[in-house]
Amino acid sequence: MSLKPYLTAVRRTLTAAMCVENFSSQIVEKHNKPEVEVRASKELLLTPILISRNDKEKVLIESSINSVRISIAVKQADDLEKILCHKFTRFMTMRAENFLILRRTPIEGYDISFLITNFHIEQMYKHKIVDFVIHFMEEIDRELSEMKLSVNARARTCAEEFLKRF
Amino acid sequence: MILLEVNNRILEETLNNKIRNALSGHRPESTDVIIADFDGVLFHVSNLSGDKSKLRISILLNYYKQLQEHGADELLKREYGSHLTTPETGFNVSVLVDLKDLPEDWENLVKKIGLLKRYCFDSVFEKYFDFQEQGVEEKMAVIHYREEETMCIKATNDRVTVVFSTLFKNVDDMVIGKMFLQELKEGRRASHTAPQVLFNHREPPRELQDSDAAVNSCVGYITFILFPQHTNKESRKNTIDMILMFRDYLHYHIKCSKVYIHSRMRTKTSEFLKILNRARSEPKNVEKKTITGRTFIRKE
Amino acid sequence: MSSRASEQTNSRRKMPLGHLPACVIDVGTGYTKLGFAGNMDPQLTIPSAIAIKETAKIGDNSARRITKGVEDLDFYIGYEAFDATGYAVKYPVRHGLVEDWDLMERFLQQCIFKYLRVNPEDHYFLLTEPPLNTPENREYIAEIMFESFNVPGLYIAVQAVLAMAASWITKHVDDRPLTGIVIDSGDGVTHVIPMADGYVIGSCIKHIPIAGRDITYFIQSLLREREIGIPPEQSLETAKAIKEKYCYICPNIAKEFAKYDSDPSKYIKKYEGINSITKQPFTVDVGYERFLGPEIFFHPEFSNPDFTTPLSQIVDDVIQNCPIDVRRPLYNNIVLSGGSTMFKDFGKRLQRDIKKTVDARLKLSEKLSGGHITPKPIDVQVVSHYKQRSAVWVGGALLADEPAFYEVCHTKATYQEYGPGICRYNPIFRGIL
Repeated sequence: MSLKPYLTAVRRTLTAAMCVENFSSQIVEKHNKPEVEVRASKELLLTPILISRNDKEKVLIESSINSVRISIAVKQADDLEKILCHKFTRFMTMRAENFLILRRTPIEGYDISFLITNFHIEQMYKHKIVDFVIHFMEEIDRELSEMKLSVNARARTCAEEFLKRF
Repeated sequence: MILLEVNNRILEETLNNKIRNALSGHRPESTDVIIADFDGVLFHVSNLSGDKSKLRISILLNYYKQLQEHGADELLKREYGSHLTTPETGFNVSVLVDLKDLPEDWENLVKKIGLLKRYCFDSVFEKYFDFQEQGVEEKMAVIHYREEETMCIKATNDRVTVVFSTLFKNVDDMVIGKMFLQELKEGRRASHTAPQVLFNHREPPRELQDSDAAVNSCVGYITFILFPQHTNKESRKNTIDMILMFRDYLHYHIKCSKVYIHSRMRTKTSEFLKILNRARSEPKNVEKKTITGRTFIRKE
Repeated sequence: MSSRASEQTNSRRKMPLGHLPACVIDVGTGYTKLGFAGNMDPQLTIPSAIAIKETAKIGDNSARRITKGVEDLDFYIGYEAFDATGYAVKYPVRHGLVEDWDLMERFLQQCIFKYLRVNPEDHYFLLTEPPLNTPENREYIAEIMFESFNVPGLYIAVQAVLAMAASWITKHVDDRPLTGIVIDSGDGVTHVIPMADGYVIGSCIKHIPIAGRDITYFIQSLLREREIGIPPEQSLETAKAIKEKYCYICPNIAKEFAKYDSDPSKYIKKYEGINSITKQPFTVDVGYERFLGPEIFFHPEFSNPDFTTPLSQIVDDVIQNCPIDVRRPLYNNIVLSGGSTMFKDFGKRLQRDIKKTVDARLKLSEKLSGGHITPKPIDVQVVSHYKQRSAVWVGGALLADEPAFYEVCHTKATYQEYGPGICRYNPIFRGIL
């Protein structure tokens, strides 16, 4: 699948999944927790949707009555990209405080997860949140490959510089 | 700064300060300074038997014995001459500077002391470079210049082979390091005067197969093949400088790359944050002011 | 001497990582001090400045700095930053807090590889932070040190605690108080920081807008009125040199004035400078400014009309704000740190002035009680020592030389296991010699 339809699919699904409302826990009094995380009542959870471009790049969208969880697996072609991706997602989660919708640990098998609750939807524009997720997916691929190229270019310059001195 | 410096700045600075202090007629102060250098080298600047005007600079290299086998003592004697003194206990080489009897060109002396570590290594290279010139084949020299890392030198009649083994303590470093070494291997195209560089990972090269050089799965092996154009008397000094700094140079650039990656990630993260913040709806300003300056909250 | 030295190296061998001393780096607003643990002075003091090439690209600062090649290695730090032409000089640290993490990371990179010349994998590191630093900043530092530089161990110490530790060199080995007040006066600002059992009482910290620079300006203005021989572009430099060379604190200004007037030749000094352009020598008479300069600590109204509380009063206020059970030990241990506390008799004068206030208060309470209660007198003690100038660094080097340091350090292994969060907390330790 090329990138465009992949992202369109994610965008559509995400927009639909953002249909959440305030919902207090049915089990514990005075609790209001994202049901997609609590997973205590089956009837509040929807079937998760997996959109994959290939076996490495995929998005898992899990929705529930009051929250959506989006997990993204980023393309990692080689060891260096793997390291860069890991560093980058860790770097972002360290700053999760500012990122509001960023989940502090990704779901198993994915590189980064976002958790959007009804409280976020009340404070933010839905379509802009979707925009952000799509932008993130586009940019992270580009940034990773650019970083890789730059590090490679550095290596070359340094090696040449060293050998030139002989 | 692309290449690292060979001399030890802090050591030079310390000596310069002491000497200037002495020259301007101040009373010398007692000295007891420990200075480290790359690869676990330790300098100790102190006063010889409590005499504040006598500065003793000692160097500790854990593998000095291996260097001694290749004539390090003689070389140091040649370079430092009468300044060389009996080594301090616990150290390998000591150089003495008498603040009361400074040579005219003390600045050169300080420079030379700043290169003490380099000169300790010098003899091994000179010896093998000479072997190559004379066409003598000699047993390989193995220097354990760090724990678990070795440097091996072998001379044949047309070349000198230097094999470094370097340990990557971190998986990330190994990946980045591998890339650097790959480039180094191919970098020869850019410069015709450069020595040939080979790079093996995990598997030690042929030269090392029957030696006690370090063998480990996180180890990379870098082989420099130096030709007579590198080992002749004129270019020899530069070649030694480069080879000696190589290990630290490699690790320095691995760290620099990570610094670079960090700064890119910082930029990108703040950009992502900006986009996300656009999604936040502006809080409506419901607090209003009357003309008299009283504030009230407007209800929708 | 030599026996002590070999003893030292032997004791070092017992430490983890063989014999390699820990690196101590104190990055301050103005100057950075670096060196190795176990030494009594920092090996290098350089301005905390970094000179970078700026490109004319769009976007904010950080986006502009992203380059494709190795341009990010093209920068200078310290004194070299000022000498580099065609570069923009930046200061990564403002008011003690790191402002630009990109530049900070590169600054440390060069500190380690160019000046200290160590493989960061081989040495433990002790870095410093100002009081009231945020836990996030600690995490960022940890991220830099552990991820970029792979240090095996890291400890982030509060500057005030280190300044306190440096004062231990004046004391007996058993007496290592961690309760006291640190007066830290550098070039830009003076802090009064109370500390109880090694923990800074954050709510009681006070900042005073009078420090080294203000003294220099004040002396400059005094000289400007009187001396005509000083080239204008060198007047600040001259004032600074005079401050460092001739200034001291006097017990009583009126008496000091009288002393000078009765025998000018004895007290008035001559400063000789050289005009940097014409290379002609010039001389300056140094008179009352010798004691008037530093006097602004005790009479701030001389130079600053907006701020009139003397230092001794501030210290007293700070202590009175602190919890009642630590006030006595605080009076007992007032520690000086920073270059601007180096004036002769600074400690003596401060001790006398605080004592005066304290005694007056005790007398008042005795009077108010109608003579029924006689309060126990309070012992005011200001600790001066000869390592005051770089007390923070010296304290760091002392602590990092202790075996206990290696036990409290955060290690690479725990970092990898738990993440940067571990560096939010750095346990206090006293060290056992």
